[in-house]
Amino acid sequence: MKFTDKKSIGYIVFITALLIYPGFADSRWLAVGSTFLIFSVVGLSEDIILGKGGMFNMGHALFFGMGAYTAAILNKFFGMPILYTTPFAIIVPAIFAILLAGPIIHLRGDYLLVSTIGLNIVFIQLVQNDLFGITGGPNGIFGLDIPQVLGIDLGSPTAVYYTGVFVLFLTFLIMTNLDRSKPGRALHYFRLDDLAAKSIGINTSAYRLFAFALGAGIAGLGGVLFAIQYSAVSPEAFNFMQSVLFFSIVLVGGSSIPGILIGTFVMFVLPEIFRDFATWRYFIFGFAMILAMVLRPEGILPAKFGKIPAYMKKE
Amino acid sequence: MSRFIRVLATIFFVLIFSCAASFAAETIRIGVQAPTTGKYANEGQGIDNGVRLIAEQVNADGGILGKKIEVFTCDDEGTAMKAAICAKDLVNKDVLAVIGSYTSTCAEAAQSTYYRAGVLQTTDGTADSLTEHGYWTFFRNSFPNSAEGTYTADYFVNVKEYERIAIISDFSSFANGLANSVEENVEELGGNIVYRGKIKAGNQNYTPVLTRVKSKNPDVIYFSGYYPEGGLLREQQAKLGIQADFVGGNSCDNPDFIELAGDSVEGAYLINVPTPTMLPYDLAENFLEDYRAEYDENPPSIWTLLNIDGMRAILHAMEETGTTDTKKVAEYLHNDLEDFQGLTGPVNFAENGNRIGSAHQTYEVQADGEYKIVYPKVD
Amino acid sequence: MDTFFQQLVNGLTIGSIFALVALGYTMVYGIMKLINFAHGDLVAMAAFVGLTIYDRFLGPDTNSFVSLILIFISTGIIIAFAGILLERIAYKPLRTAPRLSAVVSALGASLVIQNGIMLIWGPRMRFFPTDILPSTTWNIGGIHVSFIQLSILFLSVIIMAGLIFFIDKTRVGTAIRATSLDHDASKLMGINVNNIITLVFIIGTFLGAIGGLFIGLYYKGITFNMGWNYGLYAFVAAIIGGIGNIPGAMVGGLLLGVFKALIAGYVSSVWADALTFALLISILVVRPTGIMGERVAEKV
Repeated sequence: MKFTDKKSIGYIVFITALLIYPGFADSRWLAVGSTFLIFSVVGLSEDIILGKGGMFNMGHALFFGMGAYTAAILNKFFGMPILYTTPFAIIVPAIFAILLAGPIIHLRGDYLLVSTIGLNIVFIQLVQNDLFGITGGPNGIFGLDIPQVLGIDLGSPTAVYYTGVFVLFLTFLIMTNLDRSKPGRALHYFRLDDLAAKSIGINTSAYRLFAFALGAGIAGLGGVLFAIQYSAVSPEAFNFMQSVLFFSIVLVGGSSIPGILIGTFVMFVLPEIFRDFATWRYFIFGFAMILAMVLRPEGILPAKFGKIPAYMKKE
Repeated sequence: MSRFIRVLATIFFVLIFSCAASFAAETIRIGVQAPTTGKYANEGQGIDNGVRLIAEQVNADGGILGKKIEVFTCDDEGTAMKAAICAKDLVNKDVLAVIGSYTSTCAEAAQSTYYRAGVLQTTDGTADSLTEHGYWTFFRNSFPNSAEGTYTADYFVNVKEYERIAIISDFSSFANGLANSVEENVEELGGNIVYRGKIKAGNQNYTPVLTRVKSKNPDVIYFSGYYPEGGLLREQQAKLGIQADFVGGNSCDNPDFIELAGDSVEGAYLINVPTPTMLPYDLAENFLEDYRAEYDENPPSIWTLLNIDGMRAILHAMEETGTTDTKKVAEYLHNDLEDFQGLTGPVNFAENGNRIGSAHQTYEVQADGEYKIVYPKVD
Repeated sequence: MDTFFQQLVNGLTIGSIFALVALGYTMVYGIMKLINFAHGDLVAMAAFVGLTIYDRFLGPDTNSFVSLILIFISTGIIIAFAGILLERIAYKPLRTAPRLSAVVSALGASLVIQNGIMLIWGPRMRFFPTDILPSTTWNIGGIHVSFIQLSILFLSVIIMAGLIFFIDKTRVGTAIRATSLDHDASKLMGINVNNIITLVFIIGTFLGAIGGLFIGLYYKGITFNMGWNYGLYAFVAAIIGGIGNIPGAMVGGLLLGVFKALIAGYVSSVWADALTFALLISILVVRPTGIMGERVAEKV
């Protein structure tokens, strides 16, 4: 990769801005910044399913919540240090993604969309009803034990923020590698033409499940961060409206890494900035969503065709 | 061009300094954390309106300790996540005390931030867990669920001697907690619960649950949730011809309950702390009048008034102690505050921040929508 | 047995409201392949508009039957107009865009309408007066049926029968069906596709408006955010029946109403939502295009 092209410069500026941001932000904006990072990670994971896989998933908060709840339950009821819960918080949503998405993966478009909404609603009712007495009911689980690691208080806003930056970079790495890998290419093909992909021997169902599991796993990782940031989990943070948010992040921003970041900014940070509009806020915000789609139907920064490696493009 | 930038920069700095200047002018900063949009927008805006009204009145009288009150509102939208962000925002704005939030969940999500920053917090949240952390900054201006649960169970089992009790709640932590508390206390007193179910707030059609309840043949249906559901439950109960008494918990006590229940409201019972309109407190009456004059409507519910009492108690403590040091104010509230005259009755705080006393009463709603106190008996 | 029939009657009442709202979803979907997430909020708006018309212009002095008809017609017209506006602003520019762009636009429109209602009418619950309709209740062998329940059931059946007749037997209905199958071919046949889409929005939102008024008349209390709830269930009803399929939406709505009643009545109210959606997913697993099958051309 050349480091002189526009894109690399863009990334360098962005990364520098990310790294020095805590120096300028007060604690509220630091919290907003950390949540921005977490939502970007989850937005990217939704992009694997929705953008790259082309599967209409409007229940992504389910996997995000499952990761957060796994971390919180293991921490609160089994006394496991929160960092050690991370592998579980990734694996549990990934397994459930395969189990839950398995039967419905063959559904077309909007039927898949409504099924995933349904799964999300079922999940919320399960945690609200205090399943097995460990989900804390409608209040959720409060007061997680956030430890010190190497003398740094992991729960401090700055620590959460930089952990978020680290996880975001990790996700970038996964996403760029995915684009160049065999599953990534397969996803790309069958999104373009399902039938053609099948007929050249791509096992579309397997790759679809793979995309779901990978997306769910990363969302679960985001969930752990979320649990650390608020040292709490509660059902309404993972409800259907939250899924709508992740869904909109991908579509408003466009299915590319910078697109998702912009999408998260528009869908989450902007309403925070315009708090002064008070009760008018979401009225204006709704218009902004319509306007964004009308002006940029493919998202603000859509994926360029052929984000597949150059050697594949030459016939 | 560079000149233009210089002009811009000058304007920018002037703005910054004018902000800083307003900072220097000593005010007492009070935060409001309330859901002014979203599902509880109604209640959230009520709390915000009420706090601003009191601030205005206090300022007109010369303020507190010679300083004006300045109010900052943060909308938590009724979600824990936004509540946590709000808490940080308000702490940044150097508020001394925060009024709110409306829901227990939001109050709990913000609690630890206020505690760490030494900011006083007063909320109407009734969940028992709120006072279990031992934060010295926390003051509950309402009465905890457990107090109402004990009262309700005693009323059912020992006073009315109901033999078949049906309990319904919604999915909120508040209503669920209250219903559980009533259930536990009834069982302790040897009462017989024939049904325990939940309805989803906002669904409006509760006949499925009520028809089920009917087949259990109860003598009383108790609902622990909010008035929009309570009113409809009562109305649909009547339409289904279920003869049982209907008893609503504190959050059913709202003018909208009576509107929704329509003709069937007559004979419904409500359990709550005394409502302002019913009490001989001039204070409450005056407040309601002022509120109506300012906003052309009644406050949405008793919760507005409870929060106002929390705010008034804190302001009172500042005056008495002659300081804005929150630690000293909190000490005063814990130890020295004695029967402070509130809109909702005398205000006293226990060591853990709970409001002491439970002045719960049972009202029977009359055909014209008026209340009649049926228990405890007033002579 | 009483209990069962009682649940059935109640389930059918709420079910016919779901069905009326679901028709709006399904017709729009049939013609534009778009999930119109703002439909539920238009339904809520209808209730507010109807109440305002009653309060401002009619009042309790007018003959209640006449005022009812006036409310239904004028609200229907206003909401249909709002529907056209919605289509022009939020959907028309996106007709050739990827399908999901219009979904996000619809979500945005939903926010606009919902918060618009809050800004105009305030966040508090509003109430329909109790005296518009007689509050008579009959006790038929232990089953309680109210006048309003019967009116809702009766009117819904008439409206739906009329709609089926219109779609299946008239020239315009044929044009609507043709347009849902293929926009381009319909254009070649001399159908003005834009007019047909406008017409579908008018019919869909008009039916939704009737649903909204029923909600107000039946439950009295209306709130600015109630649209989401009804919209979601109506959408589910449309999916259960097979989206794009008009009789399917009716069957789906009635089934959903009855199913919800029976679940809460016989299984557990605590798990009602979870079980409803579990049923929906199982139906889709077995019949991937709904019970009645969809009637939508695959967009290729």
